[in-house]
Amino acid sequence: MDIVEVLQHTSPELFLPDPEADDKPGVLAELVAKLVAGSKTMSRPDAVLQMLESREALGSTAVGPGVAFPHGRTLAVQKLTVLCARSRKGVDFDAVDGQPTHLFFVLIAPPQDSGHKYIKSLAVLTDKLQDADLRDRLMAADDYAAFCAVLKGE
Amino acid sequence: MHPQLQKLVALQDIEQMIAEAQEQGEALSGMGFDLGGLEALKEKAAQLAGEIENRHLGYYRRLTGRFGHAVVPVVGNLCTGCFANIPASFVSATNENKLQKCENCGRILYWP
Repeated sequence: MDIVEVLQHTSPELFLPDPEADDKPGVLAELVAKLVAGSKTMSRPDAVLQMLESREALGSTAVGPGVAFPHGRTLAVQKLTVLCARSRKGVDFDAVDGQPTHLFFVLIAPPQDSGHKYIKSLAVLTDKLQDADLRDRLMAADDYAAFCAVLKGE
Repeated sequence: MHPQLQKLVALQDIEQMIAEAQEQGEALSGMGFDLGGLEALKEKAAQLAGEIENRHLGYYRRLTGRFGHAVVPVVGNLCTGCFANIPASFVSATNENKLQKCENCGRILYWP
């Protein structure tokens, strides 16, 4: 799997260029609201939020420098869905390094997906976001198209 | 949604998360994820299970043991557990607050 395949699971409607919240509960709620509004097949925001909160209880998903990957499986979705978000002011997301989180990649998968696409997508994104230059360019991207182009290395 | 179904959905999501953390722990740790809250999550699952009526929880456990997933989504009027057709009458307003089961396989039905 490569980044192009991962990006097939997102869309311009699943891009949040600047969430308002600056704390974890607030930004999680905004991310879920955007997921539900943008996915067309998701209608139970409470179930998605509850799952993501449980996942954060397992351990913070803010593992990259300035990057978080909230993720998990829930009955509330029918297919793998990826949402990208970027906060210029930064969010206190209980990051491992204590620094604010600026980039969010939310991956929500149904209970079963063929070939573990969701874990493979997570691996592609966590690996890709290790690149400091790429993170800087994502922060500077003008819109969704530019954001995706940076991820694809164009 | 039936409040007990809401809890069953949350329980199934958490139990799957726990199973995945155990089965895919090495892969997830390799990506940098800390799974140190596993015991706390197990406690949360136990607490949630305690809020579910015994008859529903017992039924959920039996189905989980048999099929892996006790609660399944209905997509396109089909039970995604056994692909049996779900009668339209199941989604009527009078059934909104009932815990619905597939007439063919018995799995608990969830409308995403």
